[in-house]
Amino acid sequence: MHQTVLDINDLLYRYPRQSDPSITLRSLQVNPDEQLMISGQSGSGKSTLLHLIAGLMDPTQGQIRINGVDIHALRGSKRDRFRGRHIGMVFQTHQLLHGFSVIENVLAALMFSDIPRGAHNARAISLLESLGISTPKARIDELSMGQQQRVAIARAVACSPSLVLADEPTAALDPEFASIAMDLLQGACRSIGAALICVTHDHSLRERFDRSEYLGSPIHPPIEPLLERGEDA
Amino acid sequence: MALSDWNIVTRSMRSRRFSTILTILTVAIATGLMTLLISMRSAGENAFKRGTGNVQILISKEPGPLASVLNSMFYAQAPGNSISWDQYQSLQSQYPFAWTVPTLLGDSYRAAPVMGTTIAFFESFNPATNQPWELESGSYFARPFEVVVGSRASRENNLKIGDSISLTHGAPKTQGAHNHNEFSFTVVGVLRPTSTAHDRAIFTMLESSWILHAHDRREEVLGHDIQTGIEDLNDEDRKITAIYASIGDRKAALVQVLSALRSDPNWTVANPADTIGSLFTIVSNIDQVLFAMAIAVMCSSGVSILVALYNSMEQRRRQIAVLRVLGASKMRVFNLILTESALIGLVGGFVGIGLAIASGSLVSTILQSRVGIVVHPSLPVDGYLMLVLATIALSCIAGIIPALVAYKTSVVRSLRPIG
Repeated sequence: MHQTVLDINDLLYRYPRQSDPSITLRSLQVNPDEQLMISGQSGSGKSTLLHLIAGLMDPTQGQIRINGVDIHALRGSKRDRFRGRHIGMVFQTHQLLHGFSVIENVLAALMFSDIPRGAHNARAISLLESLGISTPKARIDELSMGQQQRVAIARAVACSPSLVLADEPTAALDPEFASIAMDLLQGACRSIGAALICVTHDHSLRERFDRSEYLGSPIHPPIEPLLERGEDA
Repeated sequence: MALSDWNIVTRSMRSRRFSTILTILTVAIATGLMTLLISMRSAGENAFKRGTGNVQILISKEPGPLASVLNSMFYAQAPGNSISWDQYQSLQSQYPFAWTVPTLLGDSYRAAPVMGTTIAFFESFNPATNQPWELESGSYFARPFEVVVGSRASRENNLKIGDSISLTHGAPKTQGAHNHNEFSFTVVGVLRPTSTAHDRAIFTMLESSWILHAHDRREEVLGHDIQTGIEDLNDEDRKITAIYASIGDRKAALVQVLSALRSDPNWTVANPADTIGSLFTIVSNIDQVLFAMAIAVMCSSGVSILVALYNSMEQRRRQIAVLRVLGASKMRVFNLILTESALIGLVGGFVGIGLAIASGSLVSTILQSRVGIVVHPSLPVDGYLMLVLATIALSCIAGIIPALVAYKTSVVRSLRPIG
């Protein structure tokens, strides 16, 4: 039986103290190996959708299943462990661990995986080499933005996740490096057989993906109310 | 090599090196102060009591028992008042002493005090309980102008058997002190260390010291270029400054003798062990204040850990959020911060104990050179371990609030792009 990697049904998310729903998604499925682009205007809830899929926020209603598991039904450390093993994330600002070396950033992701500890180092080096990083012991601060993005991609795919979520991964890069970064990200996902959901407002990238979805009805909720209450799961 | 929680904690500490070192130093100073106070308290009292040896009664004409003990047994200063030889002999016949040792202080060789005494000093008096005198080399003095040198006095002045020295009449660096180069003293014995104040002294026969005094007296009358010998001594010269005495095992007799002697206003009578005990009773009040201060410093070091870690949380929110995204649970990041706090306590505790041992050694050296007592400030190993454990426990308590901040860190808010 063919199982979807991501299965969203009747998703509704309402920001705290907002009466209108911010995100409504009747249904969304992503298959293994599929690469999906999600676009939408600023404030349309693209990043929020990724946070909901990653289990970092809880939906107001609806269900998000990853590999058949309702991530929001998992509580506490179980959900964190599930995320660490099944989901990789790439951010616009890389979100690398400063003060750590290149390889330690990748090893940090492997810490929470079910890959045997003895294999961590070799896997991290191999991933970094495949992405063109040959200085695993360099400090993150010593790398260019493009190199940092490669390390971020290596970290996202280190645990062999079935789903990679990328939030505006090229927004901080110039067009030439953006194209290279997208090649690397998409190639890395294909090489491990992971599905990719990439949130971007760059419509020129549409051709790169198997399909695209538009998150409509832009809503501009005030930021602070969102952050005041425990939006974190 | 895989990454571990330990790596994350140490990287985090290293990235805030200056703040971490300062916090560790604060903890170390507090722990060191506490350790030093605890170890010095018992070591000091033991060292003082040890220095009184087997003397049960110390008789002098000093202003009080404490001054008498410190001056006559610990060589703090040369005693100011003297006892005539006749008075000494009268006391000997009056009371049932097991033994007595007359001592005369007031002369010196460089920084070493010189005690005039009799052979009974080596035969009857033990410098520490059940520890009689032992010679490293040579013999005890047998005639005037022979000296026996304490172990430290020998080492510091490079004195060995056969060396000739001349003494100074008066304590070193005191007004009126003058050399008696006309009298040559020969080193005939070097004593083994006793870890008491006596190690820094030089001992000679009473007659030798008396002759120096007699020579000064005669020079005033007869002028320089005179010879002085035993035959020139008179009653004025035959003086001592203190009497070490013991009743032996007769405890009841000791109480009676002490009581009888104390009723005579001519004498200052001290039971050295009791006097040192009284000194430490007085000191213990100050000790308690210092102990309270040490606890306050310990608490403030706990607060400094809290402040340092709490302030660092703002910079670390992003790191914590990233770890959460990668799969770290809230409890795990809580534990990471608590581990860091405990590690600061552990390192601070050990550094503090190191500081306490080093400064204890310094204090010991100062006490030995100034007061003459040998203090070994140390605690049993489990005492040190208890202090380190207490420091770690305090650090963990201090780390709870920053760890809770980490626990509650909002992943979504912390990952929001800046600007």
